[in-house]
Amino acid sequence: MLEKRLLIVSGKGGVGKSAVSAGLALLAQRRGKRVLAMEMGSPGGLSAHFGTSSLEFEPREVRPGLHAMRMVRSDALLEYLGIQLNIRGSTAFGPFARAFDALATTAPGIREIITIGKALWEVKEDRWDVVIADAPPTGQIGSYLRAPVTIAELVPGGKVRAQADLMRDILADPEVTEMLLVTLPEELPTTETEETLEWLAAEKVIAAPRIIANRVLDELTDPSSPPGPLGEAAELHRSLWGEQQEWLRRLPPQHQLPYLFGLFTPGEVAARMCDEFEAIT
Amino acid sequence: MTTTLIVTGAGGVGKTTVAAAIAIRAARSGMRTLVVTVDPARRLAATLGVSDLGNDPQPHVDEPNLWAAMLDASASWRAVAMRHADPAVATRLADNEFFQAASEHFPASQAYAAADQAVTFVQARAWDLVVVDTPPSGGGIDFFTAPAQMADLVGGRLLRWMTGGPLPGRRLLFNIAGRPVLRVADSILGSDLLERVAEFLLDLRTTYDGVSQRGREIERVLRSAAILVITTSDPAPVWEAIKFYRALPKLASTPAAVVFNRILPEAWATASVPGDAPPALASNLARWSAETVRQRDTRDEFSARYGAQVATIPWSMIPPNSLDSLAGMLDDAHEMPWGSFGIE
Repeated sequence: MLEKRLLIVSGKGGVGKSAVSAGLALLAQRRGKRVLAMEMGSPGGLSAHFGTSSLEFEPREVRPGLHAMRMVRSDALLEYLGIQLNIRGSTAFGPFARAFDALATTAPGIREIITIGKALWEVKEDRWDVVIADAPPTGQIGSYLRAPVTIAELVPGGKVRAQADLMRDILADPEVTEMLLVTLPEELPTTETEETLEWLAAEKVIAAPRIIANRVLDELTDPSSPPGPLGEAAELHRSLWGEQQEWLRRLPPQHQLPYLFGLFTPGEVAARMCDEFEAIT
Repeated sequence: MTTTLIVTGAGGVGKTTVAAAIAIRAARSGMRTLVVTVDPARRLAATLGVSDLGNDPQPHVDEPNLWAAMLDASASWRAVAMRHADPAVATRLADNEFFQAASEHFPASQAYAAADQAVTFVQARAWDLVVVDTPPSGGGIDFFTAPAQMADLVGGRLLRWMTGGPLPGRRLLFNIAGRPVLRVADSILGSDLLERVAEFLLDLRTTYDGVSQRGREIERVLRSAAILVITTSDPAPVWEAIKFYRALPKLASTPAAVVFNRILPEAWATASVPGDAPPALASNLARWSAETVRQRDTRDEFSARYGAQVATIPWSMIPPNSLDSLAGMLDDAHEMPWGSFGIE
């Protein structure tokens, strides 16, 4: 995974996307790579796992060699206007930016192209060996991944269109970009992941994703159930394990991450994720 | 008098299941109860008798006082705007390429449509209790912010931004299009995109009176509703619950309780392992015991820091595939604020 230039981590809300993103970023950093971790979902998801204060649009070094940033749409827009479209100074701040912001809220693809475009632009720069995007959840990821195509359908030419075409190629290149779908061996995350896989297969905007099942219980080999908490905990574990196995059979993942018992701080969770990835990649 | 109970919280915490369980319990206490759910898991939908998609409340075949309705999660402000637009504008809107795209895009529109439908049921005065399971978009908080956001969008704030001045009439569109700003935009967008968007927003604005009046009605119902925030003890949903708990007093009212679902037996926290216990079972109990302690610490911190009433629902191993097992999951619930939504 870490030999790619861009990792897009998505999944249903609450499955541990941010923890997985943070764990991968820490592992890449441990291996001496120059890493940029991007918080694209709800603010605080990633920073908590690095044990730092809120992230900003400007990347900040949170570990030696590991930078982290948060996607801020207004900042990304200014940067997009400046770097991608070459509109700077007062034009970028004046009525044009207002109009463009209004457009971004209404017209399909614009808001998403600004956001995903930032990630793709950072990939093109030589500042980082790998960019890890803690992306929006699967419910929204489609409109981001499809943004370059949407723009192409809506805008027949011009600079925005040229940028969109470039971005489409980066996203679709399996040597450069890989998508990770984090899921849980439970009903709702499994069905949502299946729906996302179907969508991806139909749209072909990015290569088939790698599936990572999180919070997987190991098998309890002892079949006995003595009375009291000893047996109760065993039965709970076996029952949950059995249910999880059914979902894992239905949607076999490429990687499994263990259920972390008793761990609490996001920082501890990220450190454990990092160790787990160390063992499997 | 219809009592409204809104059940909110992060996705995947069992929100829909808890809403259903409360509704069954209310129905069994003699209240005419409607449970309004969004996108339930298949087994649960079947148990509630809403397996076929439809917005009309269906009486449950086996439970006399229970009705269930499933909101169409794909319904958007398309329906809302259509209702408030005059026929000529409605046709123009329907043909507009931005319409579908914008409704997919603007998460508040789905939440608005859901809130609108739910409030319609409350206003029907046909039930003693309406239990509303909030849609997952925007983490559920959209349900409460949607009416204002919707009125804001339709009210032309974007349009004013675009034109940098007071609202223009349709006749003035030509002048907007002639503005230098838009000529720059057209050169980089390679088309008249901004102009087309402006035209669309002008049409949308004609629905403002209807939408904002309805928005105020929706807000009134939301403000008088009882709210439960559901969470598990996992960090991500707890974090969402904190956000909700702090935001809701301003948006609607202070939640009656924060309900921690899937709680492990308290006895496990202090259980001692017999010396002759099989090693696999002993280490298994040790880790579940650590999990129990972590859960308790999480709840204690929540109530200490935010002063919330904290309720608990035990982890149930029985899947919610019958009305009895659903209702039963609340048998050992603690500190549930039943009175705040009229259940004895």
